[in-house]
Amino acid sequence: MKDLSQRDAFFGKLYEIARRDRDVILVSADMGAPSLDKFRADLSAQYVNVGIAEQNMVTVASGLALGGKTVFMYAIMPFVTLRCYEMIKVELCLMNIAVTAVGVGSGISYDDSGPTHHSTEDIAIMRALPNMTVLNTTDSVMAARFAEMTCHISSPHYVRLDREKLPNIYKAGADFSTGVTELKTGRDVCIVATGNMVQRALEVAAELAKQNITAGVIDLYRIKPINTELLVKSVSRSGRVVTLEENLLNGGMGSAVAEVLADNGKLLPLKRIGLPDGYFFTYGGRKTMQSRSGLDLKSVTDLIIKWLK
Amino acid sequence: MYIDSIKGLEEKANHLRRLVLDMCVRAGTGHVTSSFSCAEIFTALYYGGVLRYDVAKPAWEDRDRFILSKGHASAILYPVLADLGFYPAGELDKFCRADGMFGVHLQNDVPGVEICSGSLGHGIGVAAGLALAAKMDRKTYMVFTLLGDGECYEGSVWESAMFASHHELDNLIAFVDRNRLCATDFTEECVRLDPMDKKWEAFGWETVTIDGHSLEQIFAALGDFRSRPNQKKKPLVIVANTVKGKGVSFMEGQPLWHAVAPSGEQARRARVELTGKGGK
Repeated sequence: MKDLSQRDAFFGKLYEIARRDRDVILVSADMGAPSLDKFRADLSAQYVNVGIAEQNMVTVASGLALGGKTVFMYAIMPFVTLRCYEMIKVELCLMNIAVTAVGVGSGISYDDSGPTHHSTEDIAIMRALPNMTVLNTTDSVMAARFAEMTCHISSPHYVRLDREKLPNIYKAGADFSTGVTELKTGRDVCIVATGNMVQRALEVAAELAKQNITAGVIDLYRIKPINTELLVKSVSRSGRVVTLEENLLNGGMGSAVAEVLADNGKLLPLKRIGLPDGYFFTYGGRKTMQSRSGLDLKSVTDLIIKWLK
Repeated sequence: MYIDSIKGLEEKANHLRRLVLDMCVRAGTGHVTSSFSCAEIFTALYYGGVLRYDVAKPAWEDRDRFILSKGHASAILYPVLADLGFYPAGELDKFCRADGMFGVHLQNDVPGVEICSGSLGHGIGVAAGLALAAKMDRKTYMVFTLLGDGECYEGSVWESAMFASHHELDNLIAFVDRNRLCATDFTEECVRLDPMDKKWEAFGWETVTIDGHSLEQIFAALGDFRSRPNQKKKPLVIVANTVKGKGVSFMEGQPLWHAVAPSGEQARRARVELTGKGGK
């Protein structure tokens, strides 16, 4: 799993499952990738390319599910969410149809493609939908497991996949049923991170340790519904909470954490770190963009140290 | 409930209009005129031996699927399903009431209803997905859908139309209720929709244009539709020229009657007109 992108891990696993279960259908909006090409070539009867027509992708996916199929639909993230949002509301959430929307390109992982391809608002809108489960993938081990998990669902799911090959944090066989994993405990501050920022949080915690600050790290990969009990219990081990996401702050993962803590009377000091409100015509790769928007290792570490003082 | 004569079906259509009127007048809301324009289509489908359904088993696996894409015509689907016995007729008295089971737009938890609808440009895609699923599993059920003509402004309709013909979904039959009115205006003055039939033809559909108030023409357009699958290789669209508000003279073809239920003297006059046409 080491050298796999989240996308190839997810669709590779889905391919294995679909070979055994011909009711598994993959609906794509004209997307290509090695793992998809294999699915398309070997399982052509289970592969439906709707063309660049995401609204129709959702309605057709819903119809296929009503006809008894286990349906996955796939596109670049803004197009499988914002572009067809009202279809997702009606055809999936309102009718509570078990279709999995799979998006690739979390945050600014389509870096130089520019803001049309960045996905920094989707967490806010997708977690607003009743019946929807929102899963944000941390590594390729998790991606493969999500493919297995979403073959056995009774409500709509949304899976976010990063475009970049990220280091694996989890070992094969890890359990992702709880929605929250406490990767590290720490007394001074707890960093709740999601997606690619989980790795960053671990790096930040190591830097903070050099300053005698012990930081806990929590991976919040199920953003809706949040495992409130486990999250509250985990963050309560320290006195302060930082949320870290490569996403806009409006309605994002940090907002979701703040809501949970407020609603449960855990009014801990909380700092949300994410992308500034805006769109990015910055090029030169994701690292450059992260540096310019304060999500690089040094910026995040410095901000937390300053905030803790 | 099978009615074997055209005269009997015509009376049923007006009976349904009367049920729509009473339900909407009582509630003070509902899409009366949008339902009147497609009364004969509903009558043919549900009473003319077209749709396969089982009142005792609404979720019967091999039933034909009727996907009401113009979900505001729930105001006629609900009375039809009550009349057929999917639920007690008394439910119509509770339309839009706190103790009732349905409101203005379509919801799929009502027995006999397949989807939630009300937002336009959705149902035809769901119908296409269902028709494709049937093909994948070699099922013999047919999928029917009914769109409004104003609904055809939605780009998603044409995404789905393209998809359905590409996949040769000859088990899919669409009606377009061409009443030439959208919510606030005449369609040809709002944004021109003509030539409607040529649009569907260009998107790869077998296209038939009829008088949508003629039951004979509806049956003729459907023809031997059960023999279509795997033969025709094209979905079928029946463009049904209709009159919005058909059956009540002062409501016919009037833009101002969209989504409005008559009251008082107008409600009384509407009842009299429909009763005179057999709508007891």
